[in-house]
Amino acid sequence: MKTLVNSLLPALTLIACLVLWELGVRWADIPAYTLPAPSRIGTTLIDNWPSLATSWWFTIKITLGALALACLGGVLIASVFSLSPRLERAFFPIAVVLQVTPIVAIAPLMLIYIDSTTVALLLCAWIVAFFPILSNTVTGLRATDRNLVELFRLYRASPWRRLTLLRAPAALPYFLTGLKISGGLSLIGAVTAEMVAGSAGRETGLASRILEASFRTETPKMFAALALLVLTGVLVFVLFNILSFFLLRSWHSSEQIDELDQSS
Amino acid sequence: MELSAKPPTAEIIKASKRFDTGVLALSEVSLSIGSGEFVTLLGPSGCGKSTILRLLAGLEIPSAGTVHAPADDGAQQYATAFVFQESTLMPWASVFNNVWLPLRLQGFSRSHSRARVEAALKSVGLEDFAQAFPRQLSGGMKMRVSIARALITEPKILLMDEPFAALDDLSRHRLNNDLLHWQQERSIATLFVTHNIAEAVFLSSRVLVMGARPGRIVQERAIDEPYPRASTFRDSERFSNHCRALASALAQPTPLGEGG
Amino acid sequence: MALRLVHSLFLSLLLLPAAQAQQAVTFATNWKAQAAHGGFYQAVADGTYKKHGLDVTIRQGGPQVNNRPLLPAKRIDFLMTGNLLHSFDNVKNGVPVVVVAAMFQKDPQALMAHPGQGYENFASLKNAPTAFIAKDGQFSWWQWLKVVHGFKDEALKPYNYNLGPFLAQPKTIQQGYSVAEPIYIKEQGKFAPIVHLLADHGFSTYSTLIETRTETVKNNPELVQRFVDASIIGWVNFMYGDRSAANALMMKDNPEISLAEIEASVVLMKQQGIVDSGEAQNQGIGAMSSARIQDFYQQMVKAGLYKANEVDLAKVATTEFVNKQTGVALKKTLTTK
Repeated sequence: MKTLVNSLLPALTLIACLVLWELGVRWADIPAYTLPAPSRIGTTLIDNWPSLATSWWFTIKITLGALALACLGGVLIASVFSLSPRLERAFFPIAVVLQVTPIVAIAPLMLIYIDSTTVALLLCAWIVAFFPILSNTVTGLRATDRNLVELFRLYRASPWRRLTLLRAPAALPYFLTGLKISGGLSLIGAVTAEMVAGSAGRETGLASRILEASFRTETPKMFAALALLVLTGVLVFVLFNILSFFLLRSWHSSEQIDELDQSS
Repeated sequence: MELSAKPPTAEIIKASKRFDTGVLALSEVSLSIGSGEFVTLLGPSGCGKSTILRLLAGLEIPSAGTVHAPADDGAQQYATAFVFQESTLMPWASVFNNVWLPLRLQGFSRSHSRARVEAALKSVGLEDFAQAFPRQLSGGMKMRVSIARALITEPKILLMDEPFAALDDLSRHRLNNDLLHWQQERSIATLFVTHNIAEAVFLSSRVLVMGARPGRIVQERAIDEPYPRASTFRDSERFSNHCRALASALAQPTPLGEGG
Repeated sequence: MALRLVHSLFLSLLLLPAAQAQQAVTFATNWKAQAAHGGFYQAVADGTYKKHGLDVTIRQGGPQVNNRPLLPAKRIDFLMTGNLLHSFDNVKNGVPVVVVAAMFQKDPQALMAHPGQGYENFASLKNAPTAFIAKDGQFSWWQWLKVVHGFKDEALKPYNYNLGPFLAQPKTIQQGYSVAEPIYIKEQGKFAPIVHLLADHGFSTYSTLIETRTETVKNNPELVQRFVDASIIGWVNFMYGDRSAANALMMKDNPEISLAEIEASVVLMKQQGIVDSGEAQNQGIGAMSSARIQDFYQQMVKAGLYKANEVDLAKVATTEFVNKQTGVALKKTLTTK
């Protein structure tokens, strides 16, 4: 019984918040163009489903696409850094520069230099998502147990074998942490870029729908698109948590259920 | 102390080691280990016992003197095996994969190695745990896996750096018994480091007492008890005598040398 | 009895200054200060608002700024909007605001192109490989251009208020106000662009509309009337009188604009009949007719922007504050000097 309540707790809390929101709007008679009630947002979502769904799919494509590229880039570069400390010293500052550059400022520039809007959006989302994966993977590759490194030295393992058999598995938990962070950031990057720079006609994501709704004072539609955005972020988070669980549960402390927590 | 007729399996001749920090860890240490001998280095912390092991393993180079360790010839690689104080297992790999590692690094596939891995696990009593993960094992069991991994390449010399220090007395006793059994079975030269006097007496045929700062061998004591040694040896008077003698050898103030 | 008379006279004398006390009012525009806002700045600069008992603060808009939500949120009292589409949207979404005056009889929204690239004809614009359109336009009149004039979304690229990309690529077209951007393009790009006014091709909306909350119209109509009247007089003075004070005020608010640009803009406004044409000539600046609003709505319905009876046109605008020949006499005085 207790486990049932525990697993339902988040859902129940969410429902309670929505109910409070609905009642609050009704009781205070807040107009829909200021703060729409959840019920109104729901009906708007259904009414506008075709156009919102297409935009949602576009945003998901950009988010996951940029994330995949960030993984690829992050892991590749982290591996190169681990094999060559000199390269790491040379290029790590550039990576840091990428991280601190505000997307809000460079997104409009990207859209001027790059012809294809989709490519520009992918690039903006990638810039935001790339650094946590790189940084965490580099740390992970370095965080190998010193004794294991000595063991591999004793066995005179080649640098490649040391990377694949020792450092890579040791780095996996760190990489997954970076991935969880980058998942959300990729979504934010994609949305920010589209919002700041404005997207061009053909394929547009949820950010454009939000802009459009706000310009046309269609606040319920704005909230409907926002709800889809939030849902996407949550789904990405859950997805990577599940991935992390399956990959690490046999051996890493981060996925061990603490008996002490269970009884509380 | 009798030199065996065969050449020693491993030898250190007047080796000194000074670290980059300037500390003189070892000063003119000489020792030799014959085939099948069980030799223990006994001494307080910081006396350089681990450094001697590392010199023999090739993990450190002496600042002076020579080190002769069994060489890797074509067929036999990893003639030197090392067991660390922590079991040093890869936490993400199963017990099987951990023991397979040295063979894998030599290029043997999993199917090729299966029989040898299973045999190694059986000899340490863990044949049912091949698919378990290190986090599921007790400290003693993890140490057995570590030893299985060390023995799987049929090394000529086994170097052990306080391997049972982190275990409780019961596990330590059991593993001491088992270690002697495995060692005698294979007749492997073993250099064992510990600061536990009882363990040193029970396990070895020779005990080298070390002094600190700088590290050097101050005394050598032969333990003439024949192998195989039963647990009852621990209760005997001969045992207590050896322990007392070693204890007083350890208690003697060592003349201050450089690096004190 | 006589004492009571003296008493009430005394009281009304005391109240008279109170009635004349300046009522603080905020008016938000939809862009940074430019000649197209001139009349309002004039009324501030030459004290016309003050004479009507109003202490007006002008709050600028800008490229990344959207002042429109401030009006229903009661953070501002009056708002300038660029076309009737915003008003249709407001009524459609139940936002309680209403248009009370239309300072421009013609919307200066235009598309511009490089000369000699084949864009002399309006019809050729839809074939341009790239059209730089800002967000505001993207979601309003661009949709009309797509349906009625065959423009395609593939050409759409965001305009971030930087003329650089347009100036650098001769085959592209760009949005702008017909009375503003051509002047900047002549300065920065050193060429005179081809200008196609949307109003000349069916986009018949009023522009530079004054909006306010419906509750203000209901509860305080004479405040609205004073603001509208003063604004109209401000525009008359700006167009036909001495606008040096207004110019100075605009340049202070927006340091990026120059005197030459403002003056050139005023010339264009007169030439193109933006402010004072059609009904405004007889009825005064700010004139509106419901018939024209209705006609424009029908066109937008045809363009698919709205459904036939989605918007209650009666709520879009009220003509009770305009069409009173306000400022007509003043204009005659100024222009016959």
